[in-house]
Amino acid sequence: MRAATETKSERISASAEAQPRIRISRAGMRYDAAQVFRDIDLDIGNREVVAIIGPSGCGKTTLLRCIDGLLPLTSGELRLEGEPVRGPREGVAMVFQHFGLFPWKTVAQNVAYGLKLAGRGADAIAAKVAECIELVGLAGFEHYYPWQISGGMQQRCGLARALAVEPRVLLMDEPFGAVDAQTREILQFELLKIWEMRPTTMVFVTHSIEEAVLMGDRIVVLKGRPSTVHEVVEVDLPRPRERRTLTLPRFAQLREHVWSTLMAEALRAEYEVRK
Amino acid sequence: MSEAGAGALQATSRRRRLAIDSPVVLKAIAGVLLLALWEGVVRAWAPAYVARPTGIARVFAAVITDPQFVAAAGATLGAVALGLTISLVAGTAVGFAMGRIAPVEWSLRYYVNSLFATPMVAILPLLALWFGYNGDTRLAVVVFASFFSIAINAADGARSVPAEFLEVARAFRARPLGMLFEVIVPASLPYLIAGLRLGAGRALVGAVVAEYFVSIPGLGYYILYNSRTFRHDEAFVGVLVLVTTGVGFEAITRWLTRRFLPWHRRT
Repeated sequence: MRAATETKSERISASAEAQPRIRISRAGMRYDAAQVFRDIDLDIGNREVVAIIGPSGCGKTTLLRCIDGLLPLTSGELRLEGEPVRGPREGVAMVFQHFGLFPWKTVAQNVAYGLKLAGRGADAIAAKVAECIELVGLAGFEHYYPWQISGGMQQRCGLARALAVEPRVLLMDEPFGAVDAQTREILQFELLKIWEMRPTTMVFVTHSIEEAVLMGDRIVVLKGRPSTVHEVVEVDLPRPRERRTLTLPRFAQLREHVWSTLMAEALRAEYEVRK
Repeated sequence: MSEAGAGALQATSRRRRLAIDSPVVLKAIAGVLLLALWEGVVRAWAPAYVARPTGIARVFAAVITDPQFVAAAGATLGAVALGLTISLVAGTAVGFAMGRIAPVEWSLRYYVNSLFATPMVAILPLLALWFGYNGDTRLAVVVFASFFSIAINAADGARSVPAEFLEVARAFRARPLGMLFEVIVPASLPYLIAGLRLGAGRALVGAVVAEYFVSIPGLGYYILYNSRTFRHDEAFVGVLVLVTTGVGFEAITRWLTRRFLPWHRRT
């Protein structure tokens, strides 16, 4: 079904067609004595949305940073479009939970940041910035500073900054974790709409089960100490996903399934005492 | 007009009539009273050559237009400006290196802190021997007085750049120089301005004290000379210029902060 949405505008060679956008093999991460995760195998296809979910401390954000090249794996291998990841790469952009906007830059200047670093010309940057600001619904707020706008608007800005570099892989690190519940819902559906307009490979880290089901084509459940892939849930909900999706019986089924998978772990984590 | 509206209007006019308790008016009244007290005490008990407000006002115009005084003020303030510039450039470079490169921090921190705590007046005789009884000593004192406060603040600023900003810059593949000028410098600006403010005050003191000690033409020497020749009113005009410079610098840094760092303390 996914193949049907592929178009020839996709700039990949015939040999690359066969390989996944991201290939994670036997990935492990250890900080000093603590093994965070181990033996993670995961292939992520072109234009596939993979949600990664797991209890606090399972290393889902760490894994995302490894995919971005911000952190090196301590074992295993990570390939992006066939090439090993050794640092942040062109074509990959990240949206942060903490927004990560520069407070001394305006909305427009923040959105332009990645383009400037990529060495684009002033005219190209101006056009792209205007387009992306429009896309995320920030038109009219170009010259505001982050401290002048709400958390939801700040994350719209963070999203525009990521989209501006036209990434082939979009990494979302609990992007709506720091905004209130209503704003979160609004942003979720806007993100889905934007994704329909310009689908990319997306890895979405969240600890909201609903969000994982709503966003993902697949949900990767991380569990255990050290954590590893416990289950990969195929989300066979139709796209485009909209508010209506939340009312489908299949949505409730999948949510319950993921919840029961995580519940025991969540309870254990809640009552855990640090030694 | 509604009753509430009328009440508000009345309150406004009452506030206008009682403006005598507004900060501006109180400040002016207190100032006039202090000057009057000074004038009265000097007239009643002090010898005629002691400075008093009316005396200072009488000589003010003449002193301020005296080419010798202008040259003296220029020499002192010029040395302060040059010394501060040197300290700002070198202190920021050293401070950033300390704040971002751990081995530099480990090697220098102790010595920078110690030299910051060293009273500049105490080593002034040594600096005079090294640099000679001339303007070089004044410049050296100004740099010594301001360098360490600027370096320490720059180091604190560079060290406390939020990790999230650096992460974003790395994720967007910023190169080291871009990281420095687009992230570390702007994020440390509030600290740099704080260090510059502190350093400027110390630099001004340093310049004046250096002139007292090595007797080179300048505002400090002008004040010293006129005090010793019983021309206290003239000496006091020199003091006023120094005060104005200090206050003016404060005002400039406060304006810079408001103008360019509106994000500071709001994020």
